[in-house]
Amino acid sequence: MTTQTKPRVAFFDFACCEGCQLEVLSLEEQLLDMVELVDIVTWREAMSEKSDDYDIAFCEGSITREADIERIKHIRETADILVSLGACATIGCHNALKNQFSMDEVLYIVYGDRAEWFDTIPARPISAVVPVDYQVNGCPASLPEFLTVFKHILMGKEYKPPNQPVCVECKLKDNLCVYDKGLLCLGPVTRCGCDAICTSYGHTCFGCRGLVDEPNLNAAQDVLAKYGLSVEEIVGKFRVYNNWPELSLEESQSDG
Amino acid sequence: MSICVIEHDELCALVERLIRQWPVMGPRQRKQQPGFYYFDWLRSADELVWDYVTTTLPPKKAFFPPREPFLEFSRPDPAKVRPITDQGPFVLLGVHPCDLAAIEQLDIAYSDNAADGRYLANRARTTAIIGVDCWPDEYCFCTSVGTEQARGPADLFLTPIGRGYLVEVRTPRGQKLLGDTAQLLATDEDEADAAYFRSEKQRRITAQLETTVEQFADILAEGGLTEVWQKVADRCYSCGSCNLVCPTCFCFDINDDINLDLTTGTRIRTWDSCQLPDFALVAGGYNFRRERWERVRHRWHRKFLYLYTQYGQPFCTGCGRCSRACTADINLVEVSNDLIAYAQREKRNV
Repeated sequence: MTTQTKPRVAFFDFACCEGCQLEVLSLEEQLLDMVELVDIVTWREAMSEKSDDYDIAFCEGSITREADIERIKHIRETADILVSLGACATIGCHNALKNQFSMDEVLYIVYGDRAEWFDTIPARPISAVVPVDYQVNGCPASLPEFLTVFKHILMGKEYKPPNQPVCVECKLKDNLCVYDKGLLCLGPVTRCGCDAICTSYGHTCFGCRGLVDEPNLNAAQDVLAKYGLSVEEIVGKFRVYNNWPELSLEESQSDG
Repeated sequence: MSICVIEHDELCALVERLIRQWPVMGPRQRKQQPGFYYFDWLRSADELVWDYVTTTLPPKKAFFPPREPFLEFSRPDPAKVRPITDQGPFVLLGVHPCDLAAIEQLDIAYSDNAADGRYLANRARTTAIIGVDCWPDEYCFCTSVGTEQARGPADLFLTPIGRGYLVEVRTPRGQKLLGDTAQLLATDEDEADAAYFRSEKQRRITAQLETTVEQFADILAEGGLTEVWQKVADRCYSCGSCNLVCPTCFCFDINDDINLDLTTGTRIRTWDSCQLPDFALVAGGYNFRRERWERVRHRWHRKFLYLYTQYGQPFCTGCGRCSRACTADINLVEVSNDLIAYAQREKRNV
């Protein structure tokens, strides 16, 4: 592949902690392999140079202001391929916690008597505003999945995030079930692809990769009852990451 | 086959010797969670627990790993392929009768028809298997499927007795494995001890299917049980845990992991589960078990009807792992008995 034909890659961020880009930076040696295949032309967190001419855009963060909408539309128009990177960009993440309040109220809570200086809209994932070609899930974005998506893009292949719960990867690693330790785990309804990293290191699953396509929330309620937990507790845990679209246990699917 | 008695210290010495000679896999207690066990490669005989309650994953992982890279390739033309075969012989210790039966069933399934060369090569690396009799917990129901006395591929089988273990030496390989281990003559008292252990074990098994496996297969074949399947599906996460901990499940998926040079890569096989929504997804986006209840039904049909019809035994060894692993408490014995009761009710109503 000659230099002229290398795809040009840009990184952008919206409302987020920029931790996903930091994750990508931590690839270190593999970054050298990556730049054999692509030219990175814009990446505010990592370099000074920038360009408005790019083919592939990795976008971190949620859309949470009117100005964000214009900016992501511009990126979408410029890039051939748009990738949402990490939980803020794919599922709204903590940013969307504010959606349960009125926007006036959240502006006042954060900015007090300067609230009128700012504008805000309910936070949403990028796919809620423009079409997204690929997504890398996780908080922070899963590096193995980032590399998988990166390779799929270059090979011109579609990437479908796994539609299986974290339990699958957790079982394959021969972990003891988190519920057997008496802890509440979102693994049974959360999309895998993280290699069950949290549960493998003694934590519970926090649901950062979003829900599987057809989560059985009815089963979740049964399980709560079994372990003496309340619906409020699980809703609280769900809400840390999964607020978009509005979560409703009442509308839970019981089948198929 | 011969029978002898080995004292506990002698057995430990034997395990130490095996560990020095081969990689040895056996049941260990989880450090953080006492009372929970798993199969792992052992570094010393102290790590091995003979009197354990069933492990999370079955011992099949010794020769059929959950995730197994099996060939490396490079592309494009001419594509080069290199099988990954860097593992040597090993010994598997402390296998319960239900799991011995399961290994035998996997051998049957993987040898039949389109024989699985990879699996069989891995099995051929199994230098020896040492089985051990067990105490059941409330999930065990081996007596309902006839595996409580299974010995399957065990070269040695141990039954705990007062002065150590009554050892069934089942193969020349097992005899060779014992080497210079002190083998005491089994007395009538030792035999009575072992018989008492076995009867006490059976007495303690409380979970049971309320019909024979033959009649259960007929009930499933008869059908008309959708209502029960749907009720189970209401509680099922479709998380696949039941399959992934099953000692007889043998379905797998194959994926290619391409390296960053985009020309070389690894082909990997991973355990799969028929409960996962994408298991039956085929080209064109069609899914022939789209509904959750169809997948639930499939698990029972597969274990107790299809493979029963094909091989004359249910592909369930009563180990109870699926019921233990189910977060939503879907219990294989309870559901099976619900199905049996429903079918009997329906029959009376006709």
